[in-house]
Amino acid sequence: MQEAYKLSILHYLGFSLLLIVSAIMLFEHKIGFSFEAVLDYYVGNEEKFVPALSGGGILKIILPHIFVFGLFAMVLLHFLVFTPLRHKKSLFVLIYATFGVALLEMLTPFLIINGWSFFAYVKLLSFFLFLGLILLILWVLFKRIR
Amino acid sequence: MKFTVIKSLQKDSAMSLILRSFLLFISLYLLSDIFVMHTSFGITPQALKTTLFGDETLYIDPINEASFLEFWHTQIFIVMMLLLTLSSIFIRVANRSRIIITNVVMLSALVSLVALPLAFYLSNFFIHIYIVTYFLWHFTALYMIFYSFWKLHARSV
Repeated sequence: MQEAYKLSILHYLGFSLLLIVSAIMLFEHKIGFSFEAVLDYYVGNEEKFVPALSGGGILKIILPHIFVFGLFAMVLLHFLVFTPLRHKKSLFVLIYATFGVALLEMLTPFLIINGWSFFAYVKLLSFFLFLGLILLILWVLFKRIR
Repeated sequence: MKFTVIKSLQKDSAMSLILRSFLLFISLYLLSDIFVMHTSFGITPQALKTTLFGDETLYIDPINEASFLEFWHTQIFIVMMLLLTLSSIFIRVANRSRIIITNVVMLSALVSLVALPLAFYLSNFFIHIYIVTYFLWHFTALYMIFYSFWKLHARSV
């Protein structure tokens, strides 16, 4: 790979880190990182005057994320194809895990509002797992192209 | 990203046309972004200060934290995708100074995106850094677009 392209990808990794930081700050500010906070955000809380979200409301929120999660994961993962990891089984595990966890992160709110409050834990877990997988990809890319 | 591996972009007239059209759209986006920022968020120190912290004398409320974080989060994603695609085209067609210019556009965009929350949470001082780097990356990106456009028109790439 040309040096200039490596440079461009390295900068892209920097932007990705910034995106993760902003995602954590936004999640913390709008929802919160506790089981109760996640439930309050989606199911509502009369005592705190928090309105419940409807299925349509959730879809409106996740709509841009459906495209963005897919695009972001695709761009990062396709860089790995240019590394020696291309033929390793672990790359396929990483691809399935990243897209699978991203899907879980987006779908759990629908399960939460339908009475499956346990999925508030899954929402938190999948959020951090997705970010963790992105960090892992960033680290692998950084090691391979620097 | 097929264009990064095509041997002669000039000979591939369809790919050259696609890339030139894409560059036109990016330039429109950048110019519109400056206009929209000017009318909504502000691109002068005073206007930005008013947006971020409000102005009691003019009865203007500061931007709320959730709106600010959403704006910042969205901006990061748009800028990273825009600059990745633009730099890929520029690197493909440029022969000289491509590393320096790629560094300038990427680093100035990164600094501007870091300076924005620092201005909101820490100090007014970062507003100036944000504005300088915002214009630096916009004008560098516009230069990259015009240069790539011109090179795609040239006889050989």
